[in-house]
Amino acid sequence: MKRLSIFSGLLTATLLWVGCSEVRRDPGTVYMPDMNYSRAYETYASTEALTKAGVNYTAAPVPGTISVDGAPAYPYKNDSAGYAMSAAVKNPLDPTSVDLKEAERLYLVNCGICHGKKLDGNGPLWNDGNGPYPSKPIALVGDAKYEAMAEGTMFHSLTYGKNAMGSYASQLSTKQRWMVITFIKNKQGAKATGAAPADTTATPKP
Amino acid sequence: MIHQHVLQRRFLVLLLSLFSLTSSLFAQDIAAGKALFMGKCASCHNVLKDGTGPALKGLEERHKWADHKELQAWINNPAAYMAKDPYTQGLKAKYGSMMTAFSEITLADVDNIVAYINDAAIVKVAAPGAGTSEPQGDQNAVIFGIISLVLGVIALILMQVNSNLKRLSDESNGVKTPAPIPFFRNKTNIALISIVFFVLGGYMVAKGAIGMGRQKDYQPEQPIYYSHKVHAGINQINCLYCHGSAWESKHAAIPSTNVCMNCHKAINTYEKGPKLFDEEGKEINGTAEIAKLYKYAGFDTSNPNQWDPSKAKPIEWVKIHNLPDHVYFNHAQHVRAGNVQCQSCHGEITDMHEVKQVAELSMGWCINCHRETKVNFNYDSTGGNKFYSLYEKFHDDLKSGKMDSVKVKDIGGLECQKCHY
Repeated sequence: MKRLSIFSGLLTATLLWVGCSEVRRDPGTVYMPDMNYSRAYETYASTEALTKAGVNYTAAPVPGTISVDGAPAYPYKNDSAGYAMSAAVKNPLDPTSVDLKEAERLYLVNCGICHGKKLDGNGPLWNDGNGPYPSKPIALVGDAKYEAMAEGTMFHSLTYGKNAMGSYASQLSTKQRWMVITFIKNKQGAKATGAAPADTTATPKP
Repeated sequence: MIHQHVLQRRFLVLLLSLFSLTSSLFAQDIAAGKALFMGKCASCHNVLKDGTGPALKGLEERHKWADHKELQAWINNPAAYMAKDPYTQGLKAKYGSMMTAFSEITLADVDNIVAYINDAAIVKVAAPGAGTSEPQGDQNAVIFGIISLVLGVIALILMQVNSNLKRLSDESNGVKTPAPIPFFRNKTNIALISIVFFVLGGYMVAKGAIGMGRQKDYQPEQPIYYSHKVHAGINQINCLYCHGSAWESKHAAIPSTNVCMNCHKAINTYEKGPKLFDEEGKEINGTAEIAKLYKYAGFDTSNPNQWDPSKAKPIEWVKIHNLPDHVYFNHAQHVRAGNVQCQSCHGEITDMHEVKQVAELSMGWCINCHRETKVNFNYDSTGGNKFYSLYEKFHDDLKSGKMDSVKVKDIGGLECQKCHY
């Protein structure tokens, strides 16, 4: 009888020990919840309670709002007429004063995943057709159509999305979008002018 | 005889024509077709899936496309072809965008492209799902548990046997021994057991009290099985693509649904990655998880052009890393100014299907890092931070060799008010 109780005690201890190594799905308890979890509304907190209490809360900026960096709202609508007119929009940034290093970073974070590090339309999501993306991203360098594309048209596509590409207006500010376009034009220009012969000699090397 | 000769000649003609037919079949170059398809068509068309334009699998069974001359006419000048063709007008209405003209495509090119499409359609359908990976159970823990249990029982039995044998031998030698005291009334045993309980209990109480409010290893179930391994690991999506505000603000923001939809408007199935399992070992259907996203986004796969991002409902992800309200932590300050990698605090996110909290996020953990981490004081075109040029004394000390490096603690990383105010 005694031996049995020792045995069962050890068994429960083992089970408890094995049980404790399970996945932790529970955040546990805190000492003082009102000091640990913010009483004030934090980022991403639900505003449902506010709405219920009749508080007028809008998460989106008022239409026509001008951002801190002073960029005016893009005037054209997301339709074929707006797309056609966008070609006349000029890049407000001076290409010589753009921080190309930062622009490249923005490109690599947001665009490179599809359009490729080398702007050849072969990013990891396409990967010569072996990636998960079902349609081939366009080659920004090496395709005459996109090398000739107006900066304004690129801006239109970045803002509203085009074909399979989505809108990047929520990820890149107006200024950042123009910076990325300056970076792309810069790369296209580098290929179009003197760098072209150097490029061909460089390709056979791994 | 003449009759036979004619027959023979007819047979020869038949053979020749058959040969020419097969040779013309072989002339359709799948590799050339693939190159053309990837270069010109793949931006809008997929063989198996509708994209910007319709899926091209089995296109010869549709409309008049079995006749490649018709197909060529359409590709060369879609606007002119569409003017007198209701079928292609319907296509434009359905997909919402106009087919681009490729006037340079010849009839031979069309043959090659169609050959590639037919080939790709068959091969892809036959290809089975990609590699499998089994979930790893913690079998080691169970085995060790059983072994120690068995050893413990054996030790107890041996002790019992030992004492019984000793008593027997004492009795046979005629040594009088006092009647054995029951185990739990033996004072030494009681003292020993209570000391063990005191030490163990004290340790566990202290550990539990310290651990309260800490969430290390917390790995909640999320509303959608979103695998960071698939996204950030296999597909190499930069952390900042979705959590871009970690570069610019206090928060590493959770992306809104439209950021997911940037890719998932087109990627509507999960088929190329490894098999997915949740932490309990249950297999996950990736395509069904993407369908959950569509539900939140209000996206109708049969009518993708009518999607309105502003109608999307937020996905209520469960927050994993939580600092108490009385601690200030700023992502931009660490990621951008400090050049700290995301992985330093969040662990190998690229290997995690379901994210769990790796760091303790206790104050000691923060302080340790502030004591050890070096600040990049060498501001030049390749790196560093211009702000640190303010610290003239440290720059002088670095130059004279009085200091070999500046740590975060030297520039105020241990001051209470940096994080608590």
